[in-house]
Amino acid sequence: MTPRYGARLARALAIVAIVAWSLGPMLVGVATSLSTQADVQHVPTRWLPAHPNVAAYRAFITGKTVPGSSSGGTASDPGDFKHALFNSVTTTVLATAVILTVSVLAGYGFSRLPFRGSRTIMWAIVAALLLPVFTIVVTLFRIMANLHLIDTQVGLVLVFAATQGPLAMWLAYNQCRELPAEPVEAALIDGCNQWQAFVKVALPQMRSGIAAMGAIFMLAVWGEFLIPLLLATTLNTKPVTVNITELVGKYATNYPVLAAAGVIALIPPAIVALLLNRQIRGVISATN
Amino acid sequence: MVAPAVILTASLVGYPLVRGIMMSLRGGGGATGLPTHYVGLRNYRDLISDPDTKSAALHTAFYLVIAVTLEIIGGLIVAVTLQRAFRGRGLVLAILILPWALPSVVSGVLWRRILDPDSGLLNRALLSLHIINTPHVWLASDGWAIFFISLVHVWGLVPLVSLVLLAGLQSIPDNLYGASAVDGAGALQQFRYITLPLLRPALVVALTVGTLAAVSIFDEVYVLNGTALNTRSLLMQVYNTSFNQADFSHGIALAMMVAILSATLAIIFGVMLRRATR
Repeated sequence: MTPRYGARLARALAIVAIVAWSLGPMLVGVATSLSTQADVQHVPTRWLPAHPNVAAYRAFITGKTVPGSSSGGTASDPGDFKHALFNSVTTTVLATAVILTVSVLAGYGFSRLPFRGSRTIMWAIVAALLLPVFTIVVTLFRIMANLHLIDTQVGLVLVFAATQGPLAMWLAYNQCRELPAEPVEAALIDGCNQWQAFVKVALPQMRSGIAAMGAIFMLAVWGEFLIPLLLATTLNTKPVTVNITELVGKYATNYPVLAAAGVIALIPPAIVALLLNRQIRGVISATN
Repeated sequence: MVAPAVILTASLVGYPLVRGIMMSLRGGGGATGLPTHYVGLRNYRDLISDPDTKSAALHTAFYLVIAVTLEIIGGLIVAVTLQRAFRGRGLVLAILILPWALPSVVSGVLWRRILDPDSGLLNRALLSLHIINTPHVWLASDGWAIFFISLVHVWGLVPLVSLVLLAGLQSIPDNLYGASAVDGAGALQQFRYITLPLLRPALVVALTVGTLAAVSIFDEVYVLNGTALNTRSLLMQVYNTSFNQADFSHGIALAMMVAILSATLAIIFGVMLRRATR
């Protein structure tokens, strides 16, 4: 029985290691955000703050001066952060809504209502999956500038919808293909037109799949960095990811402030990931 | 119904791509703002002989090899560990995906605190264990900087790779293990002769995901080390050329070369996947 026991012990250790590896950096972030600069620089190392305090968070929430801001940065930084957080929320919600609408319509259309040449068009869109955003982002910058869509929410949402679109449409297409055909056919016989059959019969059947896609694209848009770095130049649209890199530039080693910003920015995606983790895992597993 | 998707993709992906290819064949503009003219493949030739491009390509190759190796090994360990049911498995799986769900910029900010030369937890831990005698400036050293930026990248990608491999493991029928155990096969032999061969399709998918992500590594490099030359990846070189030097023609030409590279790799993996699943 000894080898069996050893195997069980090894697995228990591996599970602990997986949890520690996944949570470790986040816990370090939380501990740091509750520390003072003195805690961070203290020798010997303080793994936990001597007197946990929420000064850094309070600054971001109230928009008042950041502790230790004499080391660089301005009093308006926390207010900027709050604004960027708001931008991230609105852009994420709007872009996800557009991505889901456009891709579910297209996925359903391509799988259920094919027309001459529709396969070719669909594969052309799917092929865009292989294209790194970088190949279009430089030109996109110039096109958006010509259209006066730089630093506008509309421009940003359209670009996210276009760049995330191929993956979203591919996921939606596969879901639509797996829908049973009978309910829709029955609805058509009962006198529904195609649109009514889609809205009343097919859409409700796709509910859990759409929720999963919603979670995945909310995470993707929230985490976007390169595109807003170029296209969201001011606080009109600048999201929290871009704002954080600016804080990094200003506060360099003021880790409590940076960690607080990081922790605030990771709470929304962490909540989405925890609430919808089953659905998200389902989509990832299906890639096989 | 498909019209919105077609219009959106055509105007904001297709059109910029074509314009980009055309722009990469023109020269003479750049920071001067003068009108550009057709120069054929000259921008591409310039890039191939440019030392900064070469070093960025070399760095990207390092990112790729380090990241993909760690992701596959880490992913296999996670997948094998979480393969069978145990109490709390759902919770562990939920925790597992968290690093993937975070913006890579935020991961970078969290890891900066760990890698800081003075107050960083890594140096503190290594010093107290007497593994190093003086604090290391990890992100300024050539090899270590790339290793740790890869590690931050891997932290975000292991969940994805693990889940792909886990799904692959769970598609292997249980009775194969039972039958081989009756024939006297040990755990290692089972892994070598049953798990690995039948896991090949999932491994190819994981390899593809990891490779495409590593070839276009940017966010982690930006947050941890900016445009510093010792860690500059190919896409950081594109960014620097296009936006810091305002040389769009060369920037776009380099982006096209990266696109061709990643499309080629994706096609190779696609062929491997088809072979593996046959």
